[in-house]
Amino acid sequence: MARRPPPPDEGREQPSFSRRSFLKSAGVSAAATTVVGVAERAPAAPAVLGPDAVTLTLKVNGAPRTVTVEPRVTLLDALRNHLDLTGAKPVCERGGCGACTVLVDGAPIVSCLMLAADAEGHEITTVEGLGSPEKMSALQAAFVEKDALQCGFCTPGFVVAGTALLAQNPHPSRAEIKAGLAGNLCRCGTYGRIFEAVEAASRASAGKRS
Amino acid sequence: MPQQPQPPKPDPTLTFTAKAGLPGSGQPLEVHPAVGDIKPWDLDDLARFVHMGKPRPRREGPLKVTGRARYTYDVKLPGMLYGRMIGASVPAAEILSIDTSAAEALPGVKAVWTTESRVVRFAGQDVAAVAAVSPDVARDAARLVKVHYKERPFTHELRDAMRPDAPRVFDMDRFPTGRDMGRSGNVAGPRPTRANRGDVDKGFAEAELTHEGSYYCPVHTHAPLETHGVVAHWEGDQLTIYASTQAIFAVREGVAEALGVDRKNVKVICEHMGGGFGSKLGPSATGSAFSVVACRLAKLAGAPVKLFLDRHQEHLCTGNAPSALMKVKLGAKKDGTLTAVHYQSWGSAGVAGGAGTAGPANALHGKNPNYKADEWDVFTNAGPAAPLRAPGHSQGAFGIESAMDELADKLGIDPVELRKKNEASPVRMAQYDVGAKAIGWERRNKQAGDMSTGAWGSAAGPAQGSLRRGLGMANGNWYVFAAESSNAQVRVNRDGSVEVITGCQDIGTGYRTAMAIVAAEELGIDPGDVTLRLGDTTFPEGPGSGGSVTTNSVAPAVRLAASQAREQLHALAAGLLGASAADLTAANGRISVKGDGAKSVSFKQAAAKMSGESIDCLVKRAKQYETFRGDLAGTQFAEVEVDVETGVVRVVKMVSVNDCGLPVNPLTTQSQVLGAMIQGASWALFENRLLDRNVGTMVNPNLEWYKILAPADMFEAESILTPVANAGNNTSTAGIGEPPIVPTLAAVANAVFNAIGARIRELPITPDRVLQALSEARRA
Repeated sequence: MARRPPPPDEGREQPSFSRRSFLKSAGVSAAATTVVGVAERAPAAPAVLGPDAVTLTLKVNGAPRTVTVEPRVTLLDALRNHLDLTGAKPVCERGGCGACTVLVDGAPIVSCLMLAADAEGHEITTVEGLGSPEKMSALQAAFVEKDALQCGFCTPGFVVAGTALLAQNPHPSRAEIKAGLAGNLCRCGTYGRIFEAVEAASRASAGKRS
Repeated sequence: MPQQPQPPKPDPTLTFTAKAGLPGSGQPLEVHPAVGDIKPWDLDDLARFVHMGKPRPRREGPLKVTGRARYTYDVKLPGMLYGRMIGASVPAAEILSIDTSAAEALPGVKAVWTTESRVVRFAGQDVAAVAAVSPDVARDAARLVKVHYKERPFTHELRDAMRPDAPRVFDMDRFPTGRDMGRSGNVAGPRPTRANRGDVDKGFAEAELTHEGSYYCPVHTHAPLETHGVVAHWEGDQLTIYASTQAIFAVREGVAEALGVDRKNVKVICEHMGGGFGSKLGPSATGSAFSVVACRLAKLAGAPVKLFLDRHQEHLCTGNAPSALMKVKLGAKKDGTLTAVHYQSWGSAGVAGGAGTAGPANALHGKNPNYKADEWDVFTNAGPAAPLRAPGHSQGAFGIESAMDELADKLGIDPVELRKKNEASPVRMAQYDVGAKAIGWERRNKQAGDMSTGAWGSAAGPAQGSLRRGLGMANGNWYVFAAESSNAQVRVNRDGSVEVITGCQDIGTGYRTAMAIVAAEELGIDPGDVTLRLGDTTFPEGPGSGGSVTTNSVAPAVRLAASQAREQLHALAAGLLGASAADLTAANGRISVKGDGAKSVSFKQAAAKMSGESIDCLVKRAKQYETFRGDLAGTQFAEVEVDVETGVVRVVKMVSVNDCGLPVNPLTTQSQVLGAMIQGASWALFENRLLDRNVGTMVNPNLEWYKILAPADMFEAESILTPVANAGNNTSTAGIGEPPIVPTLAAVANAVFNAIGARIRELPITPDRVLQALSEARRA
């Protein structure tokens, strides 16, 4: 299932302010009541980005791409509004529906909850990077074959989440598929056929290896 | 471009005899089409079809699964600004002032709009809007708009609004309902109806047993994943609107009228659309004028403006399905023969009218001689409703079909047998056994809640711990609506390529693919060789996609246009073959002499002989003509599992049996049926728009707390289509988007009763309600 992005201070040095380190130092009650005075209360204030636009280099679908955005711009908005990659969709913009799922270092992440600045230095794969209409991935082709879509607005998120699931578990059971896609919502009601498409792609990859 | 054609008039002398009805029980039916129309496809064509009725993946699939399909939300134009609506933060108020000075002063803000209306009747009503260089700056600016309200008392919910002392949403002379409805407090009605028949008092006097019950459905929101929005782009006096809409022509008409510009200067485009379910049939939305506002902002700023609502706004002002309180009284003989039905309904469409739910009660159980319906609209301080997938019918079927289930229980009659006893539709009569077999109806608990026999006992072993299983069923009805203003143009180019050109939008139903199949079947070519041009108001007019009209409105025009193009091609081929055009037939991309397949030319060879660049045939859909049956029949069966310790209900399986005429593409048709069951189960178990009784704003305006059915809740869903020839047009097609959601709520609720022996009369069927019903049943 698509995850919320990891806290930015996990994994690598971040130039931006870290909510987690602030919570550690200032305590949850202070964080809950006010965000004013953050800079003076956090020990050893980190370098701050912005408020003006900054230039970032994002590695998207294998190629470095440069964007100049305000530090508050999400990865979703950077992809859609600045890099013309509109496959990831804005639907709930609070991590509740999975329509904006992209792969960050192979893991499914809801891009509406990740800042573009925090995506620097990571491998980002969008649904466009998984295949093209002329050369679809096995899962994408299975979605078409099984008619696992109607309006299609949730479809890119499901394709990315399903791709991540199959990478981790090439032969998931029906229960594992449900769990793997649990973070994605569809309003037209295509779930059953999405499960069938994941199973068909799983079988196709088994056939290829044998 | 050819001239706009005049609609053909029915010709009383033109008669075809079609073999109509269900396969296996077809009967000759005389139909009288319009001048120039062709014999409808009927049962005899089923065996002959090459493409019609064969499953075919939708043609836009590869674009959608790779993220290449361009939705309105994906449109980006050079210099484009981002708009944002600002809605009222209170449910009832007078607006004293709107101060936009701080927003206007913010760097990056390019245009500001404010409402002229001073009266707020629901939280989320349009107050102001901004356009700025980025979505973030637009959000900043929206926060800087200061609105000063004089708040008024409000009423947040149907049953609260019906109190005589409830705050009034409207002065009585301002009710948004017809003059023919009475008015009192917040209540308008009863609505005049033509469905009444017989004498219910007499019918109840003749009854040997009666049942009375009250049932309640809350408000649902449409929650399409692509929120409402447009991109507005002026080039001089020419306005292009990219719209996420179910009705591009309604957007053109509504926006042009609001702005006072000519329709010829307004073009509306919708290439792909991310869900609407009835909320996107107007120029903007029922509770907002955002499309017009976006055009005004774009004009003010001198730049294109993309304006999309956010998820919170989407829940508040883009429509919803009315809540409904239904009181049903049934009278019957001991053998199940109905003697009278009295159906009463109070619905709230928020600040709008039109909250009726009597459709299913009016149409079902047609053998009952005595029927009366009374419907009232109740106003609340909430966003206006909009049609939502068979508007009013899912609620109404929950009322009437729950009551029928209760009657069956009191009579000790199988619910299917009770329906059959009172059934007037030959189609539904044939559907009952099909559905019962598919669900394994014989496994149902003969005594509701009794685990010693029936489903759980016989088929799946004894009751396991706290889990109980049950089976239920319910009926639904829908209508064969047709938009007779639908046009289609078929163009065959001199290189043999074929285009179907029609303005209608594809909202994700598989419409593109269906029209290609219809044209290809008639032309004798492959559907993959037909290019669809659609979703653009510069093309011949197509219908708004509401009421399940799209396929059966446009397909007959496409088929007739293709037939006319084929005749012209056959005339060209006749010259090449030295044969008479009347002796030619078309199949597999070739035109051949009937009975002599060796004498043939390819479609392309014939096309190459045309004078000029193309053959263009533009036709207007003929009027709907005689049909084998009236309404569209459907029935549904559900199996559920209830945990009697936690109250959690899980749908195990659903079967939907539906009539949609002759299905063009069963693959996409059944996707719609499956989707309806899933959305219906979501309404039955989870969805509930909650307004705070203290402040009147929405408690759950997102997609976590306004819970919709998710992958983990998914069940086994089966769609069975019962093809019926002759739906009253030359393709015998009918709609399918709405009918299969009508019975779902009742089918699930009836299955829950069968599982636990306690009746849930208020939706959604949440664990607390299950536990309460169980506790009441134990006390009784």
